[in-house]
Amino acid sequence: MRYNEKELQALSRQPAELAAELGMRGPKKGSVLKRRLVKLVVNFLFYFRTDEAEPVGALLLERCRVTQEEPSGFSISFMEDPERKYHFECCSEEQCQEWMGALRRASYEFMRRSLIFYRNEIQKMTGKDPLEQFGISEEARFQLGGLKA
Amino acid sequence: MGAMKLNERSVAHYALSDSPADHTGFLRTWGGPGTPPTPSGTGRRCWFVLKGNLLFSFESRESRAPLSLVVLEGCTVELAEAPVSEEFAFAIRFDAPGVRPHLLAADGPAAQEAWVKALSRASFGYMRLVVRELESQLRDARHSLALHRHSSWKAAGGHCKPQAPDHRSLGLENGHSPSKDCSPMDLVEERGSRPAGQGLAEWQGPASHFLGRRQSPSFPETSYFSTLHNWYGQEIMELRQRWLQRVWGSQPEREKQDGP
Repeated sequence: MRYNEKELQALSRQPAELAAELGMRGPKKGSVLKRRLVKLVVNFLFYFRTDEAEPVGALLLERCRVTQEEPSGFSISFMEDPERKYHFECCSEEQCQEWMGALRRASYEFMRRSLIFYRNEIQKMTGKDPLEQFGISEEARFQLGGLKA
Repeated sequence: MGAMKLNERSVAHYALSDSPADHTGFLRTWGGPGTPPTPSGTGRRCWFVLKGNLLFSFESRESRAPLSLVVLEGCTVELAEAPVSEEFAFAIRFDAPGVRPHLLAADGPAAQEAWVKALSRASFGYMRLVVRELESQLRDARHSLALHRHSSWKAAGGHCKPQAPDHRSLGLENGHSPSKDCSPMDLVEERGSRPAGQGLAEWQGPASHFLGRRQSPSFPETSYFSTLHNWYGQEIMELRQRWLQRVWGSQPEREKQDGP
């Protein structure tokens, strides 16, 4: 699959929702824990060597599963292979919880579901579609089912 | 693909999954990532799928793997002068220096307009803006509702101080932990007086069909928020009942109030 690396690199330089130096271990067997600067930007998690400006890699966070592994550690895995885990080690339980919460919210799909929920709730309470005033009530991304690809 | 890693297998899986697509259609493409322009200049015709802020292309509708990915962040979409007098063309231009614009052409004016619109609103930030707007509208609607009930109880001279909790601390912002000093939160956390499962069961029925995949890790958070909503509604009704009982003298002593 082709993608523009420069595009992703530029995205990695955007303001982050959350950024910290964490221990990171790749999914392959025998991977070693390494210190990485981990940066959450929109629905991507970038990771950098601590002294480098360009990211080593990126993880798209759509349909990811965030699991607590230890009191101060969590993992990210994906739907097609839940056992293939990227491990992260935090410096405290608090930091771990903070990251887990942020990562679970960091998908476009999560926002879409929230929006649909709010829209319905407001409609039930007020009898009005809150999106109508913006003229966007018919947009596919705000509908229950969206388009099926 | 270059020095930077990406979880490509997961990305491809997501592209092919039944997650909602915001727009789909055939487009001709030139000079996108890794594609040299075709010799005749008419572009390569591909099947495009827009999911959120991700634009995927496929060789055909039946392809089992995406050809390319364009991330729609930090870019603008505008009508473009296509090569070889191509009509209905538009370009995705990136703010970042050194990133080539992605040139595309639709089959007709309606498709062109629809694509430009869809792509312009594809960013994560746009969605986040709308979500936050609705969050605050819902907060306001609930606040008004609570105030309305508060004033009608007050007017009737009730002993029971109605709960009008600070809605900000109801955890309406998805995923944020509720503040400890808000009574509804304490009750939900205790779970003694009110099984959360009850609220969940109520909600799972109508809402589950649009809240999508159960296995999503974010699902519990949305359900928590929704459980609060149902619980809050019930709590208001129960407080009102207790107040009514006191007014009509069925209880000899004041019940311990639920509260902070």
